[in-house]
Amino acid sequence: MTNQELQVLENFEKDSEWFHKNIVKLRKDGFNEKFVAIKDSKPIASGKNADNVIKQIEKNGENPSFIFIEFVYPEGFTLIL
Amino acid sequence: MGRIPLQVYFFAGSSRIMAHFLLKSSELSFSLPIKAIVDTGSPVTLIGNSDLKRMRLSSLQIRKLVGEHKEVNMGGGKVVTKVLENANLKFGNEFNVEMSVQFPIDSNNKNNQPSLLGVDFMLKTKSKLVFNPNKSEAYFEIDD
Repeated sequence: MTNQELQVLENFEKDSEWFHKNIVKLRKDGFNEKFVAIKDSKPIASGKNADNVIKQIEKNGENPSFIFIEFVYPEGFTLIL
Repeated sequence: MGRIPLQVYFFAGSSRIMAHFLLKSSELSFSLPIKAIVDTGSPVTLIGNSDLKRMRLSSLQIRKLVGEHKEVNMGGGKVVTKVLENANLKFGNEFNVEMSVQFPIDSNNKNNQPSLLGVDFMLKTKSKLVFNPNKSEAYFEIDD
């Protein structure tokens, strides 16, 4: 893995950690039942539809491939895989 | 004996084991960081819808995926998939594996199916999963 790839993965993992540790706050801040994009431990785009979130990221000049995006499930929701 | 560290987060109603890796394909020319739920109930590794959308694959790239359209049953629903063979999953600098992964191909599918790292990964790497939900600890143990 190149240094650049390693950096991409580390940043992605940090934003994933931030998302999961701040999911209660994200719900309170209006992201409940929305896709939210996180970069540098901050939400940078959100929406009910992942396509729209990706368009917002591209509009801001970012590459969505490297951005952490996850759906904020509501409190009490259980996903059965 | 090597270890791949995993994360344990409370997500969508339960403690989930999460793996973070770089998914690469030289054939389709992409490199994408992925967060996948480690799912010992899934026989296959499956890329979730939002991860697929992050890849921004062209229709030409999607045509390179092999296999018949295959229906995979997921938690009572169905996902139609095709297979990317020889994908490379890289876990930090220490470990990488080449294996097939399945992609949902119904771009109109609105479900929020997350990416799953299935038992096929454990079979391919001959790894064991160690999981202690009480301490939020998990890792794969791989014989060298």
